Amino acid sequence: MERGYWIRSKPLYDSLVWKQHATGHVVIAEGEGGIAVLKLFQQMCPREPIKLLFADDTSATKKYADIITKLVPEGLQVCESGEAVLAALREQLPDCLMGTQFYVAGSEAFIWAVIEELKVYGVQDRNVEKELSGTLARSVYCVHCKTTDKDVHHSIHQCSGCGRHLFVRDHFSRRLGAYMGVMVDAEEPGNIPAAEEIYP
Amino acid sequence: MSVLNVKVAEVEQVTEVVKHFTLVQENGEPLPRFSGGSHVVVSMDINGRIHRNPYSLMGSTANTDSYHISVRKQENSRGGSVYMHEQVKPGSTLQITYPTNLFAISKLGRRHILIAGGIGITPFMSQISDLNRLGYDYELHYAYRSPEHAAFREQLQEMCGDRVHFYVDSEDERLDIPDLLSHQPLGTHVYICGPVPMVKALHLHAKNLGWPDNHVHSEEFTAPPSGDEFTVELALSGMEVTVPGDMSMLEAMEEAGAEPPFLCRGGACGRCELEVVSCDGVIMHNDHYLSDHEKAEGRSIMPCVSRAKCSKLVVNL
Ligand code: FES
Repeated sequence: MERGYWIRSKPLYDSLVWKQHATGHVVIAEGEGGIAVLKLFQQMCPREPIKLLFADDTSATKKYADIITKLVPEGLQVCESGEAVLAALREQLPDCLMGTQFYVAGSEAFIWAVIEELKVYGVQDRNVEKELSGTLARSVYCVHCKTTDKDVHHSIHQCSGCGRHLFVRDHFSRRLGAYMGVMVDAEEPGNIPAAEEIYP
Repeated sequence: MSVLNVKVAEVEQVTEVVKHFTLVQENGEPLPRFSGGSHVVVSMDINGRIHRNPYSLMGSTANTDSYHISVRKQENSRGGSVYMHEQVKPGSTLQITYPTNLFAISKLGRRHILIAGGIGITPFMSQISDLNRLGYDYELHYAYRSPEHAAFREQLQEMCGDRVHFYVDSEDERLDIPDLLSHQPLGTHVYICGPVPMVKALHLHAKNLGWPDNHVHSEEFTAPPSGDEFTVELALSGMEVTVPGDMSMLEAMEEAGAEPPFLCRGGACGRCELEVVSCDGVIMHNDHYLSDHEKAEGRSIMPCVSRAKCSKLVVNL
């Protein structure tokens, strides 16, 4: 791992906090992002209308939709899957006005999928509140065959597209929502360091 | 900084206080291309003293045969605009900088709201030619004092059709900024050029409505305010320069032969920033570039508009 935050492209995530000035708020979360949503709703709620789009991660044991439903009576739309959340968001966006604040929580892949949708409407990622929840798993983009693999937990990853062993870099592409993976044994073929689980 | 030698081809009286100058390159060659919202800095030799004022380029960005600038006569300013009005005639020669753009249309925007107050209309004239060419969604809101001050109204009507809205102060027509900002779709950017209170009001309303800073663009050319005389010492060259009350610190350093950097000369771009080594008084910050915190710290000064109330200021130049 390239330690620390000196790589500029590496995104920073924070805890969700309501923005003070707004015409409306849209919260978008998936899976473990449910915790971030619950923390957000423990803060004093803003006066402006709030929309919340949420989907549990169906494969995970921990579910949040029920608790969220109890705590957030208005403006909540529980969806079947992360994909369905994105579809619901796509329907909302044409009616959103400037001054709408966006809050996203979930896995890194989910966060950047949401940002891709927002970008179509001219919302810049630095104006979106983001909280990374649950897993540090990375999406890895193979710079050799252009395959993106999701849910990568290890420092070295074998590309599902070309079979190369990739070193997972900290260099992040906002457009692809993925970290760059470069062939680890290009100089010395066959010399592949042990893969360590560093993105649990 | 490289300069262009230009000749005044035409002068047109647009309103009682605004003149429009057409500039061509002295050697007859085409001028460098520029993007909408750019400005040039015009140098004027007024009784042996060099004045430099920034003016927006307002012609079409497709036209490189000539540049167009407009100057509003400011009677109680330091003379640059009065000189342009009274001394500069067709055939006069001037020196200008290459165009720089600190007020460009955001390529990320999906809709663009342009707000002009008075002579602040000039940077939008070239932006509109860009917006039309690119087919972008935009609206222009132009407020001015009275019908006699309606500079370029007809031309704008022709360029913008029903995208332009006029507000004539003397006829009690007012632009309602909060109302305008409160119903814009996502991805809208707003641009303003006009008097300081109008620009401040826009920033305040946009902030209160939750507009992100990077969707709000403004251009203010603050004329350097006058003040008391003081002395600047340039630590690296050992030069000592006296800044008279009616000259900016940047101008005084230039006149003494130093070549400090600059771009906007209006306290906006940050290019002229100088590190303050010491100051035995207070710095009078007049720029829009440094944060309040940085101003309070007093470790930097923007000499294009700021000065000091002290006997000696030492800067790292
Ligand atoms: S030249 Fe732009 S801030 Fe001074």
